[in-house]
Amino acid sequence: MVELDNLANFKLYFKYALRDLSRSYSKILSIIVTLFISLFILSSILTVEDSLETELNNNSRLLLGGDIEIDYNRVEGNLKLVNEVKEFSTVSQMVEFSTMISTINKDNNKSSFTRVKSVDENYPLYGKVIFEPEDALDKLNKINNTILVNENIFKNLNLELNDTVKVQDKEFKVVGFVKSVPDIGGAFVFGDFALTGKKTIDTLNLRTLGSFLNYEYKARFNKSLSILEGSQKVEQLFKNEKRATIMYPGNSAGGLRRIIDNFSQFLSLVSISAMLIAGIGIANTLLSFINQKNSSIAIQKAIGIFSGNIKIIYYIQLAILLIIISVFSYGLSFFLLPFVDKFISEGLGLSIKAEFSLINYIKIFLVGLLVIGIFSIPTVNSIDQIKASSLFRNIFQSLQFRYSKFSIILSIILLILLISLFSFGYSRPIYSLFYFASFFFCLMVFFFLSRLTILFLKKNNSNFGIPLKVAIKNITQSKSITPITVMSLGLGITLLLTLAFVGSNFKREIAKSIPELAPDYFFLGIQKDQKYQFQKIIYNFDQKSKIEVVPMVSAKLAKINGVDPNTYIDQTNDSHWVIGNDRRVSWSESIPKDNPLVEGEWWNLTKPNQLQISLDSKVAKDFGIKLGDTFTLNIYGREIEGKVINFRLVDYRDLSINFAMLLNPQFAQTIPHEYLSTVKFDKKDNFKEIDFLNQFPSISIIKISDYLSKVTDVLNKVFIAVVIISTITVIIGLVVISSAIIVQGKIKIFQNLVFKILGFSKKEIIFSSIIEFIINFTSIILFSTLFAVIASKYVIENIFQLQWQFDFALFICVSLGAGLVTLLLIILTNLKYLSPKAYPLIRNE
Amino acid sequence: MNKLLKLSRVNLSYNTDNNLINVLQDVSFEVDYTETISIVGESGSGKTSLIMLIGGLEKASSGKIQFKEFEISNLKEDQISEIRRKNIGIVFQSYYLIPNYTALENVSLTLEINKMQNPEQKAKEILDRFGLDQRLNNLPSQLSGGEQQRVAIARSIAMKPQLILADEPTGNLDSENSHLISKILFDYVNEEKASLIIVTHDNNLANQTKRKIIIKDGRIG
Repeated sequence: MVELDNLANFKLYFKYALRDLSRSYSKILSIIVTLFISLFILSSILTVEDSLETELNNNSRLLLGGDIEIDYNRVEGNLKLVNEVKEFSTVSQMVEFSTMISTINKDNNKSSFTRVKSVDENYPLYGKVIFEPEDALDKLNKINNTILVNENIFKNLNLELNDTVKVQDKEFKVVGFVKSVPDIGGAFVFGDFALTGKKTIDTLNLRTLGSFLNYEYKARFNKSLSILEGSQKVEQLFKNEKRATIMYPGNSAGGLRRIIDNFSQFLSLVSISAMLIAGIGIANTLLSFINQKNSSIAIQKAIGIFSGNIKIIYYIQLAILLIIISVFSYGLSFFLLPFVDKFISEGLGLSIKAEFSLINYIKIFLVGLLVIGIFSIPTVNSIDQIKASSLFRNIFQSLQFRYSKFSIILSIILLILLISLFSFGYSRPIYSLFYFASFFFCLMVFFFLSRLTILFLKKNNSNFGIPLKVAIKNITQSKSITPITVMSLGLGITLLLTLAFVGSNFKREIAKSIPELAPDYFFLGIQKDQKYQFQKIIYNFDQKSKIEVVPMVSAKLAKINGVDPNTYIDQTNDSHWVIGNDRRVSWSESIPKDNPLVEGEWWNLTKPNQLQISLDSKVAKDFGIKLGDTFTLNIYGREIEGKVINFRLVDYRDLSINFAMLLNPQFAQTIPHEYLSTVKFDKKDNFKEIDFLNQFPSISIIKISDYLSKVTDVLNKVFIAVVIISTITVIIGLVVISSAIIVQGKIKIFQNLVFKILGFSKKEIIFSSIIEFIINFTSIILFSTLFAVIASKYVIENIFQLQWQFDFALFICVSLGAGLVTLLLIILTNLKYLSPKAYPLIRNE
Repeated sequence: MNKLLKLSRVNLSYNTDNNLINVLQDVSFEVDYTETISIVGESGSGKTSLIMLIGGLEKASSGKIQFKEFEISNLKEDQISEIRRKNIGIVFQSYYLIPNYTALENVSLTLEINKMQNPEQKAKEILDRFGLDQRLNNLPSQLSGGEQQRVAIARSIAMKPQLILADEPTGNLDSENSHLISKILFDYVNEEKASLIIVTHDNNLANQTKRKIIIKDGRIG
């Protein structure tokens, strides 16, 4: 028997496949279009993600600012050890702190909360600081009390070169502005920043506990030393220095990496939704294509070609299509990078370049192959239904999807592979799995909804007018496009509505609800001796202001039950931020009113000399902490052990003072500390920042509304990207519907011809199409809205812990918009079937 | 003497809406090598069903069909395809050429799947012989009915099959083309010492065969 077991056979079938494809590609145009759009979105996401990762990896030393960083956090480093490092490397010492910068001598003086980096002459060890004018950076360490502010502060404070600004109680001359620094990270990624000379710390006398000080020592090893040798030497030198944390290039920009990973995971999930919707269309168009080839396949069978080999010819055609489209979409995604680069380089100072990645291409190809596999197996299997004997009778039965036990198992395996590829390739597989579960649940519901609609209309089709009867007949006929319309449009609109609801709720909360609940200002770095005076001054501005002042100390959670938590809790843990760096902790006599106790007892007053810890119940759950577990806190270099004795429910959304960890006051008040305050003014305009800073130059002010508007800006950009991609899924849905109508073309032409002969007007045919659409769309929008409400409510209330509200105007906009576009498309696609020529049909041509 | 084809008590029935329709009942006959047979009968008598069974395109409900040494009623679909590919050529009333293949491609397809050397050259020679040398690269839609049937016959004889099954090969053609087609078929049978089973309503065509089988209500009369 001749089997496809050698190259010659493969060449032969490849030749037939290529011949068929080159002559029939127009019939499968919708497969080409939907596959291209969905693979292009996926390619774009992977290309941008990969380019960003490559940029971060290639520039990890730039981002860290050296080959290694010795981080002392709030205390000055051990200079003896640092000097020893200088023997085999160049060291740049710097201190980062937060403070207020305010203008003086202006008509309308303004201030800005700023992260300042005081740097020495060796800065930067790697990369370049982009600034203006040319000699500005040199001036920082040559001329005392000079400052380079970032472009944003320069604009917002209406600064000009050589203007004088006030930093705490000292005056600094603005010698230029910075566009970007190479060592971005932490507050330097998104917040306002400035550079000053190394003497600034002494000038400002910043030895106090406040100002979120951070002492950093970055080293670039001498050329004679390898990175590994240099790192080992530093580790050896600092092995007993508990106050120091050593950072490597791999740790640089961890937050940024996490954001990129999470965002690309989300976008990839949206893109796979688009691919799966495209898959529905592919299955439908392919079935129609095979139906059109019914007689050709019967002839092939009659002359002795095996059914299996005919199927191979079709699979080869799909593979050829996939190879061409995947190469094309991957290649085209590179052209998107200059636009993304422009956006990113403005915000982050990163410059991304297109770089070919074989792994990414294979991933794109594999995703396409899996989707095509899942949807084409039952379609191509329909070839088994074609019998050569049909040629004698001249009767060709319409083909149906053919599910055998083997094909069902194979499709499920392919689906599992596809889900695994999108779930386990990212850091939070559980979210992806949950997304897929929801997606397939919605798909099933929409499928059953379409069947239910058909069943209902079949039983209730009696006393209606002609257009409605025709519409109902169109919906209920055996080759109806109702299931495809309901599934593809339903999924697309569900996705679009969900994201729109999440976006609108988030923005509303940020713009309205949070500012109503949240305090107006945070005041940082209030010293013990300033506490009373601070409250008095605030009341002077506004008698009715609500002030909350709490003690605050920085502590690092060094060990949990004697083990460094960083060794077993990774960055994907929702509460990783608690162990990432120093955290601010506080203490309280009584249970904070918005932090109810959920487990354990409040402080045990019989043990005042023992450290007791009250922990956020979410953190406890994420870390698997039980009451009685031991925490070792590193407070100013001293390690203190304490027991976790209760869990609180902490609600961070009101932006008031909330701490993950609270300590028992009997023990904690002996620790050197400062105060943090929030103030909610009755009349916000009464508060004058500049007047306040004149009296308390060392206290930093964070204006909540400024930060919320920054968050809104970032969110707006993010939501634009998300909405564009989710709109594309709707577009794919529309292409699928349009192709389904085209697939119906012959039936439509014949039906419309009969209508024409019977004297049915075009207007009535169009009217019946509109009724058909309204019936389908009403059920779609009802269920899409239901799913979107459930999903967006869950996201807003459980993930963001904000209040959810139904946005009726948005609902009307999205549903009407999607509805009108779909209706227009349906009418346009149907238009060409409206005036069939009677002659060829009557002659059966 | 060995027989090319032997049918023994062959039955074919269909079940539709719980009604059993007996299409063929107890059909038995033999075909010798080089023999030409016409099957005649009224519409719906079972003529076409009979040649579908002989060609292995349908499975008999019961009985035996032996083609050369193969008991085809016991074989799987792919095994029957293999036998058909090498030994049986089929000609249909409606020609059935692959619409997006040219005349040359339609004929060479048979030769290619049978791994013949120079399939296009051989296909061209056959088509030349049938007077279609100017129509090699035309699609079926660009050919007349007679031309299409000549291409279909060229396709069916390309592998020099031992048996030709023809179902009303002239049914859609005018008398001139009918004459041409019957000549081509009988010339081939004579030249290649093949057998021909032809289903026809055309008495002239039926009279050219050595034997005539009359079929009525699914039984050989």
